[in-house]
Amino acid sequence: MSASAHSTAHSHSPVPEQPEEESRRDFLILATGAVSAVGVAGAAWPFIRSWSPSADVLSQATTEVDISALGKGQMITVPWQGKPVFILHRTDEQIASAKKGDAEKLPDPAKDAERAQKPEYLVLLAICTHLGCVPQPIGTGNFGGFLCPCHGSHYDTSGRIRQGPAPKNLEVPFYAFKDDKTLVIGKSVG
Amino acid sequence: MDFMKFLKTVALAAAVVLPQPALASGGPALPTQSWGFHGIFGQFDQAALKRGARVAVEVCMACHSIKYIKFDALKQFGFSEAEVIALAEAQSHNKKDRMTSPMDPVAAKDTFGVLPPDLSLITKARKGYEDYTYAVLTGYLTDADRALVQKVMEDGVLSEGELKELSSALGVDAHQPDKVKEILTRIQANENFNKYFPGHFLAMPQPINDGSVTYPDGVESSLKQMSQDVVTFLAWAAEPTLMERKALGLKVMLYLVILTVMFYAVKRRIWAKVH
Amino acid sequence: MSKSIMDWVDARLPVTALIKSQATEYPTPKNLNYWWVFGSLALFCLIVMLLTGLFLAMHYKADANQAFDVVEHIMRDVNYGWLLRYMHANGATFFFITVYVHILRGMYYGSYRAPREILWWFGIIIFFLLMATAFMGYVLPWGQMSYWGAAVITNLMSAIPVVGEELVIWIWGGFAVGDPTLNRFFALHFLLPFVIFGVVIIHLWALHAVHSNNPDGIDLDEHKDTIPFHPYITIKDLFAMGVFLLVYCAFVFFIPNFFLEPDNYIPANPMQTPAHIVPEWYFLPFYAILRSIDFLGSFSKLAGVIAMIAAIAILFILPFLDRSPVRSFRYRPLSRQLFWIFVIDCFLLGWVGYNPADATRFNGALPLIVVGRTCTAIYFGYFILLWIITAFDIEKPQPVPKSL
Repeated sequence: MSASAHSTAHSHSPVPEQPEEESRRDFLILATGAVSAVGVAGAAWPFIRSWSPSADVLSQATTEVDISALGKGQMITVPWQGKPVFILHRTDEQIASAKKGDAEKLPDPAKDAERAQKPEYLVLLAICTHLGCVPQPIGTGNFGGFLCPCHGSHYDTSGRIRQGPAPKNLEVPFYAFKDDKTLVIGKSVG
Repeated sequence: MDFMKFLKTVALAAAVVLPQPALASGGPALPTQSWGFHGIFGQFDQAALKRGARVAVEVCMACHSIKYIKFDALKQFGFSEAEVIALAEAQSHNKKDRMTSPMDPVAAKDTFGVLPPDLSLITKARKGYEDYTYAVLTGYLTDADRALVQKVMEDGVLSEGELKELSSALGVDAHQPDKVKEILTRIQANENFNKYFPGHFLAMPQPINDGSVTYPDGVESSLKQMSQDVVTFLAWAAEPTLMERKALGLKVMLYLVILTVMFYAVKRRIWAKVH
Repeated sequence: MSKSIMDWVDARLPVTALIKSQATEYPTPKNLNYWWVFGSLALFCLIVMLLTGLFLAMHYKADANQAFDVVEHIMRDVNYGWLLRYMHANGATFFFITVYVHILRGMYYGSYRAPREILWWFGIIIFFLLMATAFMGYVLPWGQMSYWGAAVITNLMSAIPVVGEELVIWIWGGFAVGDPTLNRFFALHFLLPFVIFGVVIIHLWALHAVHSNNPDGIDLDEHKDTIPFHPYITIKDLFAMGVFLLVYCAFVFFIPNFFLEPDNYIPANPMQTPAHIVPEWYFLPFYAILRSIDFLGSFSKLAGVIAMIAAIAILFILPFLDRSPVRSFRYRPLSRQLFWIFVIDCFLLGWVGYNPADATRFNGALPLIVVGRTCTAIYFGYFILLWIITAFDIEKPQPVPKSL
């Protein structure tokens, strides 16, 4: 299409025939090369995409947890996207301890209210921010919280780092309360 | 030279004719249906898929699994979350579960003598594909056929006219009255006859009858309609990527036509000097 | 700048000289017709198979309990997994189509004749390796045809006297085709394509040593009758590749199951053989030859296997059977007729191979086994007759041009 437009544009100019042939040919070859390159890139795409998480993996992007049976002071560990997540039903003392922590000087400052949507429930990605070990359950560390056994990092009842080598607080994954009984961890994808 | 032409023509004809898949020998030819999802531009009819899913879950899954599909995949045909949960729970499943039958495999084998096959790939796994599945679902004896069988068995004689009528109803060669008689005896013994099943007798009694399922969309649930719908659903279950495949295919073909024409033009130019 | 880098490299590894002499300025006959594009198309198929195969292997699991499910996982869950899998499955078919045309082109234009015997032999080795690779690849989806195809073909080894039975058990790694068989076939199916790639390089080396044959089958004047490979042959091959891709993609996207047997969508069941098992279409002529030897009593089984292997192995001695002073069949009227009869015969053998062993036509008047035997005789007859008409000067070749 553009090749013919190109040639018409030049048909009135007094350029001798031979060079025009040449330039038309160059244009055609360039265009063909460009179209081929698009094709090669397009053909590479399915191969590249085949490494992205497959549909069955994506369907595990979220985990639904029934928390109706989780009593005060109890904690469960649930797998989410292949990683452990702590869900703690906090006691009033644990909540109070966490609130108290808000005023302290923290290595990674954060308010408890920002970390727990409902004060009773604490949801944490149980991966130590130091070198990726899984911390021990609630009550094992100083500040009434979690101790990472690998290198002695202590997290408080809000999962904030208080003592030890870990640089950051335990991560709070995206979660939502679907209803009173059901907690959904993660965002659904696709 | 003429002999050469003849040989080349035969070779060409052989190349075209011989690779055609041989028709399944024995048994009547399958009646062909027109499936909307066939052909280059074919698409699944979403309403038929929704109806078919209902038939599959409420009828087929009493015995068969469709294990490569999960219940919540049905949402894409317009089932609501609540409907999917209801369908799943009726089979004692969670909505994220695979669509497996609640029937215990051991019990199934005891009842039927064979394990009901998984239906996920059924339309791809039989010669005749969708037409075959449809033909088996609709290939059981009609009431009229049964009455005729009954009459012949009671009379104990097989007249020429009855033989003709039966041979077409049963899909058996009219030149083989002994075979027709053998089939009649087995029908009388309550075996499940099917016109299109290879060997004619199968463990599965007629699964779908008029009105087996109530369609909420008001479409009449006749045997033919439900069979059409459920086969459409099973074709989807066998290849959920079919529409994606064809859509991409059209783009790829269009691109390749352009590219090939361009290659040809460049080739002509480059070779112009040689010729 | 880039020139000085290239000079630096060339002083140490003469890349530019190699590209010039073996690719861009490599002299090719002016008069090559379109039958000559199938060599590069076959190479293109090999690359497509290597790439799609590599990416499929990243998702596949060679485990008898999981293989069937994992193929369906690739088809349904993996992004574009269906495309990779259909490209690979149909790629095998198109690879064989290009290779068969490539072989027949060589046979018609006498490309196996001196000085191209070694080139021809490496081609046959590639063909053998290709068949082995395709056979083992077909086992991997672990459907009914995979399983029973593997059972039947491995059982062929049991025809070997004395050690046959032991050999089959060794190949299976068990008392039947099973999980160990699947695992070793997967390992070999992954390895062999790279071996093929290596032999292809030798095949090309041999080609570049003696240069391409041409439709006239004559020795060419390197200056007058040849053109540089680039851009002439490159663009011609690219155009052919475009046409090839159109046909290939039409199958991949619109009728991907055309060459696949429905039975292979049923999971492998060692307790039940499908009513009618057939190998993939590209093995059918050889399968028909195998079955056609049924008249030698207890020796039939071994004889069938020998005949099947001989059907390919005979290609090795083809350069010595053909004694004609002329290479190309273009100038050999009798050979030409024999050639086309041979081609028709191969199609007929394929058709016989597709049908059940005891099938008949014309109300039982024509058992296909008779057709199979006749076609097998014609198949080998081609090579014998070619020798007779050329060794005893029965064929009078037409005058051959001295140059183009």
